[in-house]
Amino acid sequence: MPNKTFFAFILPSLIAMVLFIALPIVSVVVQSLYVAHERVMVQVENCQPFGGCSTELRVDAAATAELQREQPLGRFNGLGTYFNRAHLATDELGAILSSDRSFDQKVAQIFNLPFYKALIFTLVYCFVVTPLAMALGFAIALAVNALPKVTKGPIIFFSLLPMIITPLIGSLILYWMLSPNGILGATIQHIFNDPTLSLRASPVLTWTALLVYGVWTNGPFSFVVFYAGLQTVPADTLESAMIDGASRWERIRYVIIPHLAPLATFVALVQLMDNFRVFEPIVGFSAEANATSLSYLIYNDLSGDAQQFGSAGATSVITIIGVVILLMPVLIRTWREFKLKAV
Amino acid sequence: MAQIRLKNVSKRWNNFVGVDNFNLDIADQEFLVLLGPSGCGKTTTMRMIAGLEEITEGEIWIGDRLVNKLEPKDRDISMVFQSYGLYPNMTVYENIRFPLKVRKVPQEQHHERVMAASKMVELDDFLQRRPAALSGGQRQRVALARAIVREPNAFLMDEPLSNLDAKLRVSTRAQIKNLHHTLKRTTIYVTHDQIEAMTLADRVVVMSKGLVQQVGTPMEIYDRPANTFVASFIGSPAMNLIKGSIEGGVFTSEGIRIEGLTLAAKGPVTLGFRAEDASLAQASGQIEAPIYTVELLGDATMLSMRVAGELVSIKVNKDYRAEIGELARVAIPASACHLFDHSTGARIA
Amino acid sequence: MSDAVAQKRPLALNAIIYGFIVLWVILAAVPFFWTVWGSFKVEADFFSRESWWNAIFGTSTTRQTGNAFTGAGYYGAWVLRDFWRAAGNTIIVTVCVTVISLTLGTLGGYALARSGRNYAFWILIAALVFRAMPHITLVSGYLLPFFQLNIWGVLPTSIIVLVAINQPFTLWMLHSFFLSIPKDLDESAMVDGCTRFQAFRLVIMPVMWPGVVTTGLFSFLLGYNDFAVTAMLLSAENQTMVPKISSFLGSIQETGNVMYAVAAVVSATVPLFILVLFFQRQIVSGLTAGAVKG
Repeated sequence: MPNKTFFAFILPSLIAMVLFIALPIVSVVVQSLYVAHERVMVQVENCQPFGGCSTELRVDAAATAELQREQPLGRFNGLGTYFNRAHLATDELGAILSSDRSFDQKVAQIFNLPFYKALIFTLVYCFVVTPLAMALGFAIALAVNALPKVTKGPIIFFSLLPMIITPLIGSLILYWMLSPNGILGATIQHIFNDPTLSLRASPVLTWTALLVYGVWTNGPFSFVVFYAGLQTVPADTLESAMIDGASRWERIRYVIIPHLAPLATFVALVQLMDNFRVFEPIVGFSAEANATSLSYLIYNDLSGDAQQFGSAGATSVITIIGVVILLMPVLIRTWREFKLKAV
Repeated sequence: MAQIRLKNVSKRWNNFVGVDNFNLDIADQEFLVLLGPSGCGKTTTMRMIAGLEEITEGEIWIGDRLVNKLEPKDRDISMVFQSYGLYPNMTVYENIRFPLKVRKVPQEQHHERVMAASKMVELDDFLQRRPAALSGGQRQRVALARAIVREPNAFLMDEPLSNLDAKLRVSTRAQIKNLHHTLKRTTIYVTHDQIEAMTLADRVVVMSKGLVQQVGTPMEIYDRPANTFVASFIGSPAMNLIKGSIEGGVFTSEGIRIEGLTLAAKGPVTLGFRAEDASLAQASGQIEAPIYTVELLGDATMLSMRVAGELVSIKVNKDYRAEIGELARVAIPASACHLFDHSTGARIA
Repeated sequence: MSDAVAQKRPLALNAIIYGFIVLWVILAAVPFFWTVWGSFKVEADFFSRESWWNAIFGTSTTRQTGNAFTGAGYYGAWVLRDFWRAAGNTIIVTVCVTVISLTLGTLGGYALARSGRNYAFWILIAALVFRAMPHITLVSGYLLPFFQLNIWGVLPTSIIVLVAINQPFTLWMLHSFFLSIPKDLDESAMVDGCTRFQAFRLVIMPVMWPGVVTTGLFSFLLGYNDFAVTAMLLSAENQTMVPKISSFLGSIQETGNVMYAVAAVVSATVPLFILVLFFQRQIVSGLTAGAVKG
């Protein structure tokens, strides 16, 4: 296809992506280098009829607004935002690590730094939910594959629901069931015989609930992909394995799993990317006190009355770097394949 | 009137050379076959003529127009694709009519021309079917009808028979030959099957690795192959090629000795002869070797034996019978031998 | 094959398989049915202090309203709290996002599938990286420029942003669908007298419908399920359903009308149910064949 035709076809799409994906990334980087203006203060002399005069500092609202209007980005702060307490917190981290407290205390203190708290949860969510959801999906796929044909359709229908559901709504539904007066929450209190046990009070329960939600909503995707993969397992290989005397488990281990391995890489990649941006469940579960994620930090900076663009920008940049690191193996592999093809 | 002229045409992708410096004049109404193994550049050449592939270098002229920059639709050619390229959402009738429609041929001519084209390829009974409901041979004929309905200057056919079974291939081949005779249009036909090339072509272009190896009538190419590649590609079985050396008009190699060849050549050469030019000798032959296999073909019997490390085929009388391992004496007339340069493979004599 | 194997399967294994599937279906489906059922109760039943059986039998609901079922939550959400407006906005946003995404995506995906050049490959790789960007990081890049340009808060802005965010995925998916259509088809069309665009419109698109429908479903889901973009970029009166529900939560929990939110949640879930019911096959094929997830 000639260059001219190609670009005529792809231009609208390209413009949309450049304007609303590439440029915002640039904009985020720029924003992260600025912080909000300090308020303009004026000295006001306050004279009272009998008390004489006193001066006091007041916020000059008009001047502040004027400054804000002239330089909407705020004032230049370099990389300052990246290293302050709300982000990488290098000073605090250094102090904690060099102190002579016990390991547990150090962990607890690091956990009190908002960025690390979010980072740790995001990574745990990513690397716990992804493998568990894939294992669940694989198990469902194997089981469904063994069922009679008529039951497959309805089961696939129900299995799709947790995935297709709006993340915020799905997490709200589970949250309501898990609240102390909900069916699951009450049951859990009953099992542990602890009437004060609740999502709000227990970080462990919050984390567990979020991780369970993650597996619940991610499992179906693995299931569908693995199930489709199972349909393409070559019958010849399976049958020759049976003739060679392989047991059920050995057939799964030596025929089915190797056949599905490329699919599994693909599923793992997609799910890692998606789980890294975990956000809605934290809003849905009102979990911010016990668990936050990088995306939630950005959301938190941006919502509310005082929008902290600098802070949100810095977290965004760090998040984007995280995504690129996650993608690195794929990018490197693609690059190598491309090089190979070109030579 | 459509002569097609290719001047120094090349196609490169990065460092890969698809077609290298192709020069050819194709006469009006000629049936030209591009022949070669897959990857030799024959299809690329045709696609450059069609305008589906950009030309890296050189010029292509159709009639008196330089077409390098023209869109396929403006080149006034039609093309039959290997997998036919039928529009699955249209009926046979609509498929054949499509070129007329997009070219804004006046509506009132459509029906008549579609019917004429479909009649020519005997498709009248299938006009309301969709391609999915047709057999391979029928789809093939729809593709042909769609190509001829417009009466273009030239037809391009890209391996049109390769998806058909052997029997259908023979009858469709005959049909294409007949169509060319009736319509009298310049036709360029790409194939890897040397029998198609021999039977259809006015002239054959043999290609390999992007280079033209030989251009000539089918008989020229069969009787005087320009190099060992053409010699081994044309004919069934392929020409026997034996490495050896020549001295004073005598070719020798392990198990073979042929006298009376040209005195001009000297030193290491490759000798070639065709299976049907050899015969069994009564007393002493040019080759004496044990038989490796005997294959009964019905109209002839094929003997093979090992000579100088190569398996050599000899076509003998259909009644001949022998056991594997028996000694056979084979006579090869010097006049039937071809000599090729041992390193370049180019024809010496 | 599976039938022959099924007969030889030991009973214990069968029991495990069936037990596991039943457990999974319960886990997958019951939360939805529980919430749908509970949305017709009063809060004292849905969140019952005494026993969760109340939620099933509607003990308090009967006591308060005289009937085991009540539509009070729906009335509150849709009528008193203007949820209909949010539903209307959602329809506008999802329809526009789907249509525009598909228009841009088919054109671009077609070009990518038919160009063998290096830059097409690099555009696809860039799209892959873009697709991995958390939406909220992009949102933080939008806000300030949008405030400055004075286009914050309105539906068209959100629609265009969602279209753009959706493009990488749409391009990948449609690109792989276009790859499955033989090149011969466009080439015959062009030899037959079409321009590239005519070949695309008259010959390729008519056989592309399955791919377009499948991709459209995922575009629809993206627009419908989005929270990050719509919550941050829409003013309160322009909100779509999902951010509306989230803003419900803050204000409603104080006044004790959680049931409005429950009713709204159920209302927003029903279209998804219907979607899966009718398009299950396309969704499954999209997840697997498209090789990308929305």
